[in-house]
Amino acid sequence: MRLIILIFFYIIFSISLVHSQEALKVNNIEAKELYEELRCLVCQNQSLLDSDAPLALDLKKLVLDKLEEGSSKEEIKEFLVERYGEFILLKPTFTIKNILLWTAPFIFVLFGFFLTFLFLRKKTSQKEETSILSEVEKEKLKKILNRDILE
Amino acid sequence: MRKIYLYLPLLFFFILVIFFARQLILDKDPSKLPSVLLDKSFPSVKLNQLDSYKLFNKENLLFIGEPSLVNIWSSWCAPCQIEHEFLMKMSDEHNIKIFGINYKDDKTDAINVLKLNGNPFYAIGRDEDGTQAINLGVYGVPETFIIDASGKIRYKHVGPILEYDMNDIILPILNKIKRE
Amino acid sequence: MVIELGHFCLALVLTISLFQFIVPALGARYNSIGLMRTSYITAYLSFILVFLSFASLTYAYIISDFSVSLVANNSHSLKPLIYKISGVWGNHEGSLLLWVLILTFYSAAVAFFGKRLPIKLISLVLSCQGLIASSFVSFILFTSNPFIRLFFPEIEGEGFNPILQDFGLAIHPPFLYLGYVGLSVTFSFSIAALLIGRVDTIWVKWVRPWTLIAWVFLTIGIALGSWWAYRELGWGGWWFWDPVENASFMPWLAATALLHSSIVAEKRDTLKAWTILLAIIAFSLSLLGTFIVRSGVLISVHAFASDPSRGLYILMLLIFFTGGALALFAKKAASLKSGSLFQPISREGALVINNIIFASSAATVLLGTLYPIFIDAINNSKVSVGPPYFEAVFVPLMVPAILLCAFSPMLSWKRAKLENIIERVIAVFIFSILFTAIFVFIYGGSASAFLGLFLGLWLILGTIYEFFIKVGTKLSFNKFFKRAIQLPRSAYGMSLAHIGVAIFVIGVTVSSAWRIDIEQPILKGETVFINDIELRFLDIIEVNGPNWVAERGKFEVIREGKNNEYLFPERRFYPASQVNTSEPAIMSNVIFDLYVVLGENLQNDETFSLRVYYSPFINWIWFGIMCMALGGILSLTDRKHRLGYSVKINPETIYK
Repeated sequence: MRLIILIFFYIIFSISLVHSQEALKVNNIEAKELYEELRCLVCQNQSLLDSDAPLALDLKKLVLDKLEEGSSKEEIKEFLVERYGEFILLKPTFTIKNILLWTAPFIFVLFGFFLTFLFLRKKTSQKEETSILSEVEKEKLKKILNRDILE
Repeated sequence: MRKIYLYLPLLFFFILVIFFARQLILDKDPSKLPSVLLDKSFPSVKLNQLDSYKLFNKENLLFIGEPSLVNIWSSWCAPCQIEHEFLMKMSDEHNIKIFGINYKDDKTDAINVLKLNGNPFYAIGRDEDGTQAINLGVYGVPETFIIDASGKIRYKHVGPILEYDMNDIILPILNKIKRE
Repeated sequence: MVIELGHFCLALVLTISLFQFIVPALGARYNSIGLMRTSYITAYLSFILVFLSFASLTYAYIISDFSVSLVANNSHSLKPLIYKISGVWGNHEGSLLLWVLILTFYSAAVAFFGKRLPIKLISLVLSCQGLIASSFVSFILFTSNPFIRLFFPEIEGEGFNPILQDFGLAIHPPFLYLGYVGLSVTFSFSIAALLIGRVDTIWVKWVRPWTLIAWVFLTIGIALGSWWAYRELGWGGWWFWDPVENASFMPWLAATALLHSSIVAEKRDTLKAWTILLAIIAFSLSLLGTFIVRSGVLISVHAFASDPSRGLYILMLLIFFTGGALALFAKKAASLKSGSLFQPISREGALVINNIIFASSAATVLLGTLYPIFIDAINNSKVSVGPPYFEAVFVPLMVPAILLCAFSPMLSWKRAKLENIIERVIAVFIFSILFTAIFVFIYGGSASAFLGLFLGLWLILGTIYEFFIKVGTKLSFNKFFKRAIQLPRSAYGMSLAHIGVAIFVIGVTVSSAWRIDIEQPILKGETVFINDIELRFLDIIEVNGPNWVAERGKFEVIREGKNNEYLFPERRFYPASQVNTSEPAIMSNVIFDLYVVLGENLQNDETFSLRVYYSPFINWIWFGIMCMALGGILSLTDRKHRLGYSVKINPETIYK
């Protein structure tokens, strides 16, 4: 029971950890955060922040312009997704489609605990079986002990 | 009961293998992005005029009432030069209307390319800073969109249109759309 | 001629390793000592021949023999010698040959140290190694042959990518391979154990040191790769969760879990089936890594030129080895007698939690890396999974592991009483929170920075505390010293490795939370201020290198109370390959790195675009990882981990 409560708090804690990143809200920092979340489509596997490709520079400028106009991070991401697809996001969206991706780590851990639980329970019952004498054995033991006492 | 759990790793592994095999057999290029604008109307684009060539805008696509191509190109892009001859072929021999968007290019260089190699474009516009191309989801040059008669994007071809692409991809799709 | 000899040697190896696969296995099946004994000879022979083969290829590179297709494509006569040599494995074919070289090396080592192992066990192990070797050799010979000659030799080679000419880059593949391929040993041991039908003490005492060796090399290899990427690639990052990086990280996570589960298997004779499964998974992840890098199914900065036909071949190998091993496991694992019980709260329990966390982490990284493939197949849409995902998910997973790590060594086996250690836990907790709070109070910081620092401190203080308790409290200095010396080296190894983890965590936390990035144009003579450092752009000159021309900037670093230092970032142009690169100038010390990147010439040598990254404590990252590796090496030197552990029975005794 305590374990379950512990796990529950742990999950809440880690969710809040993820969102604590949204704390600081200065324009440049917002821009930098967006750059880190957007993929450079030209260079293999780099974020906009890391990339110097011409398209990356264009997209970075677009992000800055939109931030200045007052768009939110979400709106800018939506704008880009409309044109390039979800592929441009380095952080997969929290939608049903990606539900497996986001819940998987917890599922794995829970599954691990579940298997361990089964394993330990099985071992305990095994031990109990072998350490309890059967009725037949009990009778035999009584006979032997009685015999000893009498002799 | 425990026995079943022992088979789980094997099961997961086979599921993995199926996905890998599919990926390999289809031989997809993981860096090529399919367009998310398929079956949507071609977006409005604000382009600048190139010299005295007819200026391209979205209305042209609807006005002509037939399927067409929109080709994004630049004079500094080597594959664009290579695909140019096939654009000419499609425009001259197959009577396909091709609209051009000249991407982040120098006016003079662009005009020179057209004068030297011929002009396959029914109308052209200049996207000087690349912002209009972003609206189309363009991430490199050359890229070509196939548009149907009602102005909807039906296919996007990433990379140059070479002989194989022209004969086995672009023309068949255009024919299919024409018959609709 | 030399190349042909090398080619011939490799062809011989194919035959010999097939022999090594079939004959000892038959010997084990039919209890023939003679047949089983052949495995030693074939193991040594295979290694010698592959070595000769590899040497011949290296020779071709050194003398720049451009009649060899591989050399012509990948090398260049102007390359410095060291990069000619490292060019041998800087391509698909050559790196596979290196893979096989290391594989046969391990097989020979197992044969050498295992002379007194039960013969049935060792012959099955070597048989399995022989099967792996023959598969890879045939892969090389039939699809990726490095010894092919060109009909018309080239005059000059084409291989001259300047980015690849770096010492860190050159040397990290051998370390990684020593790690990946080392996991084949525990894999073969697992297969042998499943075939024989039992796992006894000998088996576990053998598995630990070999896992440790592979783990140490893998750790060093990953650290080298990351360090190189940081210094060379120009944007101050050191880990990108790129598919190829993940491909090396997953086996590492599995190997770490394996190290810890084998402790339980050795001490308490339980979790044996799980240990075997982990060993199979660890090597399978290595094979998977090979597949990802060479097949082209995923985009990566690192991937070799991809080829789906090669990909299919490797997939076949994967299916055969991993599928076969897992099938064998499913059939035979149940018959392995399981050992003793333990309570959830005990040393075993803590190690089980460690395993759950590390195994889940490996599974998560696997899922994240392969997810684009899954979604593409199911949905036909393209999704990308990048660093934001991995970081969001990996950190919460590791937090409990680090929390536990400090105190698990204090728990007793089988059943531990929490009351005994609760006081120590509280003491460490209080001190860690206190120091962290003080630091954050002075320097400011977010919640995640606080957490990271706390965890690092918690682990260091906890580990040191545990060490002192182990030696003995309330002792005089002399007595304490005497007893400390008597502690087994593996105890020191463990403490050092765990402290390495803590240093790593602190390095990661501080370098990201207190990092300062500056990106701006800078005029000659202008100064940029970062914390208490002044960076002044003094001058720009043109420099000529052996195969490049560059604009070199001169920057002055002024700190109060310290001498002025100078940094020279460059922007290089390589005419041979028409490539522009940026050579960052890095000022490194224990407290921070100042990373200066010279960008474009914005205006006639007067204004340049500049990027400066100030990363505090960033070198703690690699220092921490090296401590982990050192801890592992220290443990290896412990007598109980000697590689040739054997029993004093007649090895010729054939046991069932």
